Amino acid sequence: MTSIHVQNAVFGLLIGGLYGLGAVGLSLVFGVLTMLNVAHGELIMLGGYVSIWLFTLWRLDPFVSVLVAGPALFIVGAGLFWVLFRRLIHFTEEHKIKNSILIGFGLALVLQTLAILAWEADERAVTPSYAGEVLALGGVVVPLSRLAALVLAFVVLGGLHLFLTHTRQGTAIRATAEDEQGAALAGIPIGRVYLIAFGLGSALAGVAGALVSVSEAISPAIGLHWTLKALIVIVLGGMGNIFGTFVAGVFLGVVESMSGFLFGNAYREVVGLAIFLIVLSARPQGLFARS
Amino acid sequence: MSGDRQRLLAAEGLTKTFGGLRAVIDVSFTVAEGEILGLVGPNGSGKTTVLNLIAGALRTDAGRVRLAGRDITRLPPSTRTRLGIARTFQLVRPLRNLSAADNVLVARLYGRERADFSAARSDSLRLLDLVGLRGKAQMLATRLTLTERKRLEIARALATQPIVLLLDEPLSGLNPTEVDTALSLLRTIRKVGITLVIVEHNVRAVRALCDRVVVLNSGRRVVEGTPGEALSRPEVIEVYLGTRSARAGFDA
Amino acid sequence: MTVPRLVPPALIACGVVVLGAVPLFTSSRSLLTWGFLILLYIALAQSWNLLGGFGGQVNLGHAAFFGLGALVTRMLWLKGVPLVLALLAGTAGASLAGLIVGAPSLRLHGPYFAIGTLAVAEILRITAGNVFPEVSTLPARALAGYHLAPRYYLALGAALLTMLAAWRFGRSRFGYGLAAVREDEAVAEASGVHAFRHKLLAFVVSSALAGLTGGVFGFYHVSFYPQFAFSPLWTFDALLITFLGGVGALWGPPLGAAFFLMLREALAFRLLEVHVLIFGILFIIIVLAFPGGLVEGWRTLARRGY
Ligand SMILES: Nc1ncnc2c1ncn2[C@@H]1O[C@H](COP(=O)(O)OP(=O)(O)O)[C@@H](O)[C@H]1O
Ligand SMILES: [Mg+2]
Repeated sequence: MTSIHVQNAVFGLLIGGLYGLGAVGLSLVFGVLTMLNVAHGELIMLGGYVSIWLFTLWRLDPFVSVLVAGPALFIVGAGLFWVLFRRLIHFTEEHKIKNSILIGFGLALVLQTLAILAWEADERAVTPSYAGEVLALGGVVVPLSRLAALVLAFVVLGGLHLFLTHTRQGTAIRATAEDEQGAALAGIPIGRVYLIAFGLGSALAGVAGALVSVSEAISPAIGLHWTLKALIVIVLGGMGNIFGTFVAGVFLGVVESMSGFLFGNAYREVVGLAIFLIVLSARPQGLFARS
Repeated sequence: MSGDRQRLLAAEGLTKTFGGLRAVIDVSFTVAEGEILGLVGPNGSGKTTVLNLIAGALRTDAGRVRLAGRDITRLPPSTRTRLGIARTFQLVRPLRNLSAADNVLVARLYGRERADFSAARSDSLRLLDLVGLRGKAQMLATRLTLTERKRLEIARALATQPIVLLLDEPLSGLNPTEVDTALSLLRTIRKVGITLVIVEHNVRAVRALCDRVVVLNSGRRVVEGTPGEALSRPEVIEVYLGTRSARAGFDA
Repeated sequence: MTVPRLVPPALIACGVVVLGAVPLFTSSRSLLTWGFLILLYIALAQSWNLLGGFGGQVNLGHAAFFGLGALVTRMLWLKGVPLVLALLAGTAGASLAGLIVGAPSLRLHGPYFAIGTLAVAEILRITAGNVFPEVSTLPARALAGYHLAPRYYLALGAALLTMLAAWRFGRSRFGYGLAAVREDEAVAEASGVHAFRHKLLAFVVSSALAGLTGGVFGFYHVSFYPQFAFSPLWTFDALLITFLGGVGALWGPPLGAAFFLMLREALAFRLLEVHVLIFGILFIIIVLAFPGGLVEGWRTLARRGY
């Protein structure tokens, strides 16, 4: 492989880690509540604005802002669940999916417009002092802040994994995702598990958004872009598998980056759609799911 | 062909696994034309899964389903319905926002024999009459009571003009009077020449109705025979012990 | 008693004649534009309703098919292809896209269809912007011969066609099968209805008519960025109008379109964003609290004898 390919792969890997992190929250919510929040990308966008704000007001480092963006979006998510999505929990599975998608679609527009009214439509970025620093390995450059974002994304997912497997709350969430009626019979308070899972999924979006702000511009319009990446990643990785989701994110990032180089950047987005359609035709349970 | 009449419906080595759970393991039986076959066994023994495999709602992992000699294993459920296999659901599933009449009408329009609209409409009303729902024809299916929905389920299945009708616990949840009505309805259905496969827990009803029974346990076929002999075999009684209604049936 | 049965066919014929006669009696630009818009929105929403309402499948990418129709029709027409052929090509392109997305995603249960349509819309939008970054303006030759009346008639044709399709969907054998699929696919299959084929056919018809509507838009608009025709707002308007009027109801989209446009006039906020905000909230409220829309409200009032 020539170094230009390696360089493309590295950029794909760096962005793909964020795709993965962006998708995990959505996957978690879907796995536990059977609701698909298509406004997930708008939550990522809000996480990005938390970081922009903190940086503009107090020059707070975006990696520190993650600690604020997570809890802030947890509250936003819990609120959205309480006001909107809670009303769907008694629906049949099919109606839950359908109505959550409809509500999420309306919500995405509302959040995007609120962001435009609050912060104008133009793009913003954080510019910490180390923004331009790179690690040069042979002919390949790795932007340091992006590398740090990738590492942090991985740490967050590890933390999530530990939370889900080693705490009472996490076990309750997994049990509910596995078998809701069984969990209810075992005395798990389903309503609270839903609230926490939705909040947690949104918090992950917030963290993802803050990390996105390290390397990408934030604007009110980016939500749909991130929702879409998350959805494709989930379909690719199979639902409800954290590390599968992460691997799928990296895979999507690398494939996009390489094909953008091969077919021209104008068509790089089409690859995501092609992957989506091929996976559905060949292996609808996802590439990385245990059958 | 007389061979086809003896083996109108044949399950050959049906096997189905859910994740790690083996729900149906190598189950075989045949149903003769005009027969009523009972499929019995404790909860979770795989009866509903067998019906789903025959109706095509689930794909088999191994084994075949034949209708009058024809291999239908790979056909989608709608095609099987049009070939003459109708089924009801254990947990009734009406088309909620359609009227009772329209629930039946859809099945008549798409079933084994084509009908034009006016014929289909009058057939639907006739079937609602048969199951005692004539008066509720225009009511939305969501507004029917549970027993009414069960009868609607049977009317819908009959509307497809089936050769074989698969019934999943048609008597559960009915009170004794309703059970008697239902039993006489089932006998009427047999009289018009429809072959029946019935999953049922009510052992008394199985004895009264079925020509033959297949007993399942943990996904396997354990016994087959006439209700009299099969249900009094020690291994079957053992399988059933513990459920009171079953014991009542054996004592009878 | 449903609304269509209350409206005798004669009345509908009169309505069509009146609508058809409008351009003969007025040349008021604002009146014709208003008429054009309402007809365009009826066609846009009713084409969504064919699958979304009658078939119960949530299409979040209606804009993709509208946009494809607009782009293909306009490019061919500006290249000198006769308008009718250009419209046909736009319609065919949109239905082909529907087939490509629908065939794998409608086979599965769950959210795959919604995801697939959302993906195709956003990806085509970005790609259209990448490949055709320039604004598309009618050349002087076309501008010189620009009249509103033919645009109005095309929009009327598209609206009538979608209404006709919806009317058929409501009462044909296929329509009953589709309704069964919407209610419960397993039961539909058990009744002999091939669920996948019904959904796919409804989707192809729906996306074809969205493509035709887009083609009319491409013929109408003097100057727009190709990307604009793929904006998710087209999808949102189709959903909002359909839910406002009554999802799955023949008269839902026309009622909703009239109401939507009047509301938009009445609000008349300077900022587009405020409109979107209000309509977004309105949409969520309808989905959560009034899923039957205006048609259902009308029926309820009629039942209570008002
Ligand atoms: N769709 C399914 N997914 C997973 N497990 C299933 C499914 N359907 C049935 N099972 C399991 O298969 C076994 C047999 O179920 P079933 O056929 O419904 O039994 P029965 O009708 O005899 O009560 C049970 O253990 C049940 O939990
Ligand atoms: Mg059962």
